[in-house]
Amino acid sequence: MSAAAGRYVGAPVRRPDVPKLLRGEATYVDDVDLPGMLHAAIVRAPVAHARITCFDASEAGAQLVLGPAEIASQTESLPSVWLTPDQRQTEAPLGEMTARYVGQPLAVVVAASRADAEDAAESVVVEYDELPAVWDADAALAPGAPLLNPEWGTNVALTATEGDAVDVLDAAFAAADHVISRRLVISRITASPIETRGVVARWDAGTKAMTVWTSTQTPHHVRDHIAHCLRLSTSQVRVIAPSVGGGFGSKEHVYADEVLVCLAALHTTGPVKWIEDRTEHFTATAAARDQIHEASLALDATGRFLGIRDHIIGNLGAHPSNVGAGPLRIAAGALPGPYRFPHARAQVTGVLTNTTPVAACRGFGMQEAVWVHERLIDEAARELGMDGIELRRKNMYREDELPVQTPTMLLYDSGDYPAALDRVRELVTDHWQPRSVDPRIRRGVGYASSIEVTGLGPCSVQEIIGFHIPGFETGLVRVDPDGSVFVSSGVAAIGQGIETSLAQLAADQLGVPIERITVLLGDSAVAPYSGAGSIASRSLTVAGAAVRVAAARVADKMRRIAAHQLEANPDDVELVAGRFGVQGSPGVGRDFADVANSAWLNWNLPATDGPGLEEKEIFDPANSSFAYATHAAAVAVDLDTGRVEVEGYWAVHDSGVQVNPAIVEGQIRGGVVQGLGQALLEQISYGDNAQPTSTTYLDYLLPQNSEAPQIHVECTEHPAPAVPGGMKGIGMGGLIPAPAAIGNAIAAAVPEIAEHVVQTPLQPGHLWELIHRAGLHVMT
Amino acid sequence: MTTQTETESQDVSLTVNGEARSGRTSSRTLLSDFLRHDLGLTGTHVGCEHGVCGACTVIVDGRAVRSCLMLAVQADGADVTTVEGLAHGAELHPLQEAMWAESGLQCGFCTPGILCSLEAAARDGISDPAGMEQVLDGHLCRCTGYHGIRAAIQRWLDGRVGPA
Repeated sequence: MSAAAGRYVGAPVRRPDVPKLLRGEATYVDDVDLPGMLHAAIVRAPVAHARITCFDASEAGAQLVLGPAEIASQTESLPSVWLTPDQRQTEAPLGEMTARYVGQPLAVVVAASRADAEDAAESVVVEYDELPAVWDADAALAPGAPLLNPEWGTNVALTATEGDAVDVLDAAFAAADHVISRRLVISRITASPIETRGVVARWDAGTKAMTVWTSTQTPHHVRDHIAHCLRLSTSQVRVIAPSVGGGFGSKEHVYADEVLVCLAALHTTGPVKWIEDRTEHFTATAAARDQIHEASLALDATGRFLGIRDHIIGNLGAHPSNVGAGPLRIAAGALPGPYRFPHARAQVTGVLTNTTPVAACRGFGMQEAVWVHERLIDEAARELGMDGIELRRKNMYREDELPVQTPTMLLYDSGDYPAALDRVRELVTDHWQPRSVDPRIRRGVGYASSIEVTGLGPCSVQEIIGFHIPGFETGLVRVDPDGSVFVSSGVAAIGQGIETSLAQLAADQLGVPIERITVLLGDSAVAPYSGAGSIASRSLTVAGAAVRVAAARVADKMRRIAAHQLEANPDDVELVAGRFGVQGSPGVGRDFADVANSAWLNWNLPATDGPGLEEKEIFDPANSSFAYATHAAAVAVDLDTGRVEVEGYWAVHDSGVQVNPAIVEGQIRGGVVQGLGQALLEQISYGDNAQPTSTTYLDYLLPQNSEAPQIHVECTEHPAPAVPGGMKGIGMGGLIPAPAAIGNAIAAAVPEIAEHVVQTPLQPGHLWELIHRAGLHVMT
Repeated sequence: MTTQTETESQDVSLTVNGEARSGRTSSRTLLSDFLRHDLGLTGTHVGCEHGVCGACTVIVDGRAVRSCLMLAVQADGADVTTVEGLAHGAELHPLQEAMWAESGLQCGFCTPGILCSLEAAARDGISDPAGMEQVLDGHLCRCTGYHGIRAAIQRWLDGRVGPA
């Protein structure tokens, strides 16, 4: 190991990619401008359920229109990659004469400008024979509900089960002294990055190769599906992710409309650009959550947890998305949280409705699971007359109990869950002085503890759970003849700063200044294959480990070469200030670049080593890594308006070894505020006939600065045993417990309504109703 | 049916970041699109096209303006500053430096609009954190939770520049 080892990992290194973002010099997909570029608009279904009886583009005046018939004959269906054994639908056709949700892409129109393309799209004549529509999961399950696929005889698309058998839970609950049951609802939201989706597709008819610039989290996955749908080989398709303005899960797969744009490019001589506008985004980009949990917690008289069970009803939208029932199944798996449950069971029902398909979003089922277990635990504490913290600590796995396998087959690896809980309580006790004078403002503090499945994931587990993407990552590290360092991996830069973290890991292993390192991600022609990309809090853990190992091998090889060339023992060779030297022999040395150059010339290398300085490491983790947290929120609830203000917030996290603490902290802070949005503000809603009623930022409310509290963040580090370098992930962790902390705080502030605090968002109107029903409103 | 080429086109001449710029564009072209695609200044971003997110904010004749809610032809003769005009060559604007030091951005998509809004506020004489935060309230950021931006504002107002 070189003398400079450890200089970067653990330090809040400033991201070198930030100045270009600050200067407005970054290239996002809508900044891509190519000669001869044409523009597309998408014709979308304005009704939620209909047979298309006429499609006539003859008067459109566009350069190209591809309607349902052409699309159907020229494409394959878009696959779902996470399947249950009984899943009735595993792919979605791109061209159909049936509309199943408002916003469904039906046709693509190409013109010289976006404005012209939109004009042309409006001139396409489409006639609809409307059918009854359903948008609510309960209604979709009811007898006589409109059916999206009549031949099924049901809207149930899939089912799944996690955990122990029914009779095991029945026995546990029968023996319980207390059972807390609630119907908990996590409403539909959307990830809503500030940059919408977009694609530029260029087809080179001479080489029969397609290049696609796209705002994506998963370049290879997108490439694979574009090739599949367009009947090309993957070697004919290159996907390039430019700068990406956030994803939060919504950009983890290729969408039908994006494939249609690529299809159009096969027909045109110029490249075709399509940039989604915000109004489209609210119906065209995947939604998230939309889960009902009929859940129960069983305890004995002392408050010991005996079991937890849950029937999860998930509104999948009009068809299973790329990840299908994934969020429902992860919710099932994460249901026990950081707690010692002898038994746990979750049954999943995935139901179709005439709404936008539901897909990945930050938290991915874990946020929903935490809402369930933390609300149930708080209600149990209330019923037992116990302190909620004591009830949690009593049932939390202790550090010495890990590793431990849960009833839902997750192998929790390392951590001290009670310590995080205790620390948050200490922080609140020391720093929170509620200042309540007005009897109409109620104040309370709520807690939530969580585990976070990070570092997806062992390929063997992917196979078991039916998730058809690999979980390994590759680290590619090369020292060039001039001594500069090139790093690549299959994960993607989506604004989270992963390039910097990977550079830190490589720089420490190689013993070079970080400025020497270039990290290139996002180009499927350059980056090593990754079916998973940047999702599921995995990039730092899996790609970071792979890069670390590859860099270490390169460093070892360079030391062996230097030792040979300096006629010394490799153990005596050290790299100091860019020069390999021999301990005890000052004045003897070889510059880093000279060693590198000789490696590429294959001049004077030891017999153990061939030419080159490039290593590739494929890291397939033996287990996921489990980050964890406890959060506390202090709220003020206005009994007259139902408005909630979050006045204080504390978060203690453990995501293993932190490569860049500033990046980790940024992820936590951003996640908490996104969670606050979900708890108090955000809802994707539908009205009669499944017409969307939240299609602008005036309807769908993202948290603003004035709503974001000061958040106290602390991190501990329990290394991941299965990961070289000990990193766990953090991308989702800040969000996962936040809605529950806030919900529990509201219940603590207004205990009279606590048993009814079961759904998000807890908007003023909803809370006001609960307050009114409890008789707490003021009558004038 | 009209196409953009048939719609009435107008010449637009304006000053952008101190330079005389001009173009000929349809009267329905938004200022945001004109800056980005006609003038090639892609630093200004479009997040919603309905004036809520603030990503498209630029400075027009001294005032912060949502360029997605303004037509290019309305900016004829105007003095416009975009994010590209904030730095001085290689030297970042002190607020940009502060944003870097305090992790006031992650994906960077909302950032140019925030920078222009805050700079416009400073030019307008706002110099207190509360006043600046009120301006920040008009911008949506999904990545940072606003903490780093608030810290950057404080650092900027304190007059601290350079590395953390």
